[in-house]
Amino acid sequence: MLRLEQVRVRFHDQIVLRDVKMDVPASRTTVLIGRNGAGKTTTLRAIMGVLPLENGRIWLDDVDLTGVRSHDRARFGVGYAPEDRRLIPDFSVEDNLLLPAIALRLAGEERRRRLDEIFNLLPEVAALRHRAGGVLSGGQGKMVALGRALMVGTRYVLLDEPFQGLAPALALSYADTLVRLRKSRPDLGLLITESTPRLLDKIVDNSLLIERGEISSLARKAA
Amino acid sequence: MSSAYIPLIVDGLADAALIFFVAVGLTLVFSVMRILNVAHGSFYALGAYISVVIGLWLTGRGGPVLGLAALVISPVLIAVLLGPLIELTLLRWTYGRPEALQILVTFGLFLILEDAQKLIFGVQPYSQDTPMQILGITRIGGIVYLNYQLILVLMAVLVAVGLRLMLKRTRIGKLIVTVVTDQELAQTLGIDSSRVFILAFSLGVFLAALGGALASPTVGVAPGLGSETIVLAFAVAAIGGLGQIEGAALAAILVGLTRSAAIYFAPEFQPVAPYLVMLAVLLVRPFGLFGSIGLRRI
Ligand SMILES: Nc1ncnc2c1ncn2[C@@H]1O[C@H](COP(=O)(O)OP(=O)(O)OP(=O)(O)O)[C@@H](O)[C@H]1O
Ligand SMILES: [Mg+2]
Repeated sequence: MLRLEQVRVRFHDQIVLRDVKMDVPASRTTVLIGRNGAGKTTTLRAIMGVLPLENGRIWLDDVDLTGVRSHDRARFGVGYAPEDRRLIPDFSVEDNLLLPAIALRLAGEERRRRLDEIFNLLPEVAALRHRAGGVLSGGQGKMVALGRALMVGTRYVLLDEPFQGLAPALALSYADTLVRLRKSRPDLGLLITESTPRLLDKIVDNSLLIERGEISSLARKAA
Repeated sequence: MSSAYIPLIVDGLADAALIFFVAVGLTLVFSVMRILNVAHGSFYALGAYISVVIGLWLTGRGGPVLGLAALVISPVLIAVLLGPLIELTLLRWTYGRPEALQILVTFGLFLILEDAQKLIFGVQPYSQDTPMQILGITRIGGIVYLNYQLILVLMAVLVAVGLRLMLKRTRIGKLIVTVVTDQELAQTLGIDSSRVFILAFSLGVFLAALGGALASPTVGVAPGLGSETIVLAFAVAAIGGLGQIEGAALAAILVGLTRSAAIYFAPEFQPVAPYLVMLAVLLVRPFGLFGSIGLRRI
């Protein structure tokens, strides 16, 4: 279980997350729905540890992540795909995928295992492995960013508005990929933000609504 | 082209090599930490002083060939001792702060290093040209080349190619490139950006000190070397496009050749030559030869 307790984030004089409480269970798909500017991205960034909390704690099972520095959180198996894909343009797709593996000094065997798993789930990415990150289309880049998040995320994967900017057909195929991911990795905790959650109907277990920095439960599907 | 120009070109390229070492260090530190280090030229001066001192000492113990080793040992020593120290105690607090503050802090560091240098080495010039003497000359087709100058050019090429290969192929290189592109993303991928900063800054210090060490046999080492060098390095980095390795290389060649041409044809223009080149380039390309607005790429 990934748990946020009374998390408060402030930018200058504006409080952006207001004592947020949220549970993200393992083996489930949690969707965080909210309008533009509601605080979705800020919630994910807070979990990743890249912005300071004014108040509150973040737990991963019984580990207090609050004081754990951002790059060390990756070690706990929490992966993140930001809203814009942010690949390294000069690196090949494969090198982009392997970045977390070299940063975390994963053993060669584990590296190959994770890479094969990603290529199995995302055959279209396997076909692009030698292309440069900078020459991919928006949809291709999103797939690679998902693969990169999976390279880190052995326990949790956070996806920030994965359908944003995708043409309808691509969005559908991305949604199918998430369905396959759900099946192939039943243990994985998924937290996905969306402004229009329609495409996630097939996999969502738990929907949360965020409005002006406050989270409320929307609906709960029996597990 | 008449062979009469060859010495001019060799002088220019040897000058370019020395400028390149400092400018590429400055540019590297800028692209990783987004900070313009005013004290960067002081590492060049320090490299020159320390390699003269260590060079004389080693020459006394084991002869002039051993003395040559000082040219490489000194920059390594300076980088290992000062790089992490300065990054951790001073620069770290200025990242992401207003540029005016960063410039004030590094200017303060420049003043401290200049005074420390005068305190330790005094104000009279040092000179130690044994390395240049013992390497001798080569005569090809009636033209005399200083071997030392040829080695300078070769080393600059090796450093440029080596840096590029390091960034492309090695673990630490890839981590540096990722931090340059997007520091926040880098952290979420498990990259400890504070370690990358220490390493990149120390590498920048090493390159500046290497430039100074290699320059020491060719010039008198005296106060003012640091401030002269930083102004020149800024100009070259700006011509190349801040943060651009190949840009710094090309800019150094341009400036080196222009300075050497000035010395041959119009010596009174030699001091302003680099800035005339800068003016001309920035009028046409305001972000430098290889730069563009908001570029986050090394
Ligand atoms: N770095 C920042 N500095 C100041 N304010 C910020 C910063 N980042 C976000 N905000 C503010 O915090 C609020 C929440 O932003 P956030 O990016 O989390 O929203 P979001 O739900 O992800 O929106 P979107 O759907 O547009 O991506 C907004 O009002 C935004 O203006
Ligand atoms: Mg957002």
